[in-house]
Amino acid sequence: MIFPFPSPSPSLFLPLPLPPSFSDIWNNTWYPKAKDHINTEKTWYVVDATDKILGRLASTIAVHIHGKNLATYTPTIDMGAFVIVFYCMNKFSLLETCSYWYGSGFFLSNLTQYVNAEKVAASGKKRTQKLYRRHSGRPGGMKVETFNQLQQRIPERIIEHAIRGMLPKGRALFNHLKVYKGPDHPHNAQKSIELLIRDKRVQKQR
Amino acid sequence: MNKKEILKLAKGFRGRAKNCIRIARERVEKALQYSYRDRRNKKRDMRSLWIQSINAGTRQHGVNYGNFMHGLMKENIQLNRKVLSEISMHEPYSFRALVDISRNAFPGNKNVVLPTRKADVSINV
Repeated sequence: MIFPFPSPSPSLFLPLPLPPSFSDIWNNTWYPKAKDHINTEKTWYVVDATDKILGRLASTIAVHIHGKNLATYTPTIDMGAFVIVFYCMNKFSLLETCSYWYGSGFFLSNLTQYVNAEKVAASGKKRTQKLYRRHSGRPGGMKVETFNQLQQRIPERIIEHAIRGMLPKGRALFNHLKVYKGPDHPHNAQKSIELLIRDKRVQKQR
Repeated sequence: MNKKEILKLAKGFRGRAKNCIRIARERVEKALQYSYRDRRNKKRDMRSLWIQSINAGTRQHGVNYGNFMHGLMKENIQLNRKVLSEISMHEPYSFRALVDISRNAFPGNKNVVLPTRKADVSINV
């Protein structure tokens, strides 16, 4: 069918002359301008990873870094937030560091919330059975480690490995993740907000 | 098309493809094929982007995209996804009202059988 009349354009219904900064938001999909994703004005979140199930925590963090929780999500632009992940070491080293900070009169009972801090958790037998593999490139250069061994060696790598697999490829978004062993981190100036995790099963059941 | 038209279309291409006609001809043909295909793909991509945006917006209010659209269809609200995604970005209060309408019309899948939690699995400490 041929419609004899041209379809009405928005300028027919709007008061003319239009103001100089008019943009038709209802007929054009919004695309972020440079001022909508300035790096210094992005949100910073902080998460405590002790006793959280690894995959469920990583999934929520990856969603926030990628920006998929925002209605203004654009795949071509980095609109996500920064996330700091920290977790306590086991209770003995925590006692040592706190005694160092607060003096020798410091007792472990002052830290009742950290007494059972067990770093990041995994359900089932994954502590001994989950394998982390890497290859040096040379023949016979496959190196395999269990979850427990890697946690003794470099505990940050476990969380980074989990989240890296959930983000798009490339280092740009991955560099928005900061993982630290221990309860402190050097990003106090960013005034980070606590990240709310909506997954009900993220906390390790005891 | 003659050489002049091809080289005009090849502006901005990499290396010899913008200068030498033999290479430019191949690249321009490919570029035109891609643009034909992508004029159709663009419609799909935009709709997918709108849906992701609506999903993110409704999840902030505790409803996921599927249940939200089902509720809207039940109430016979015929706003399309393009407009819904713009509302979710620019008009948060109106969007909240839409989510509430949808939630009243379709509260969610109550009869879904969730996988049972195995109570006797011991988690290694």
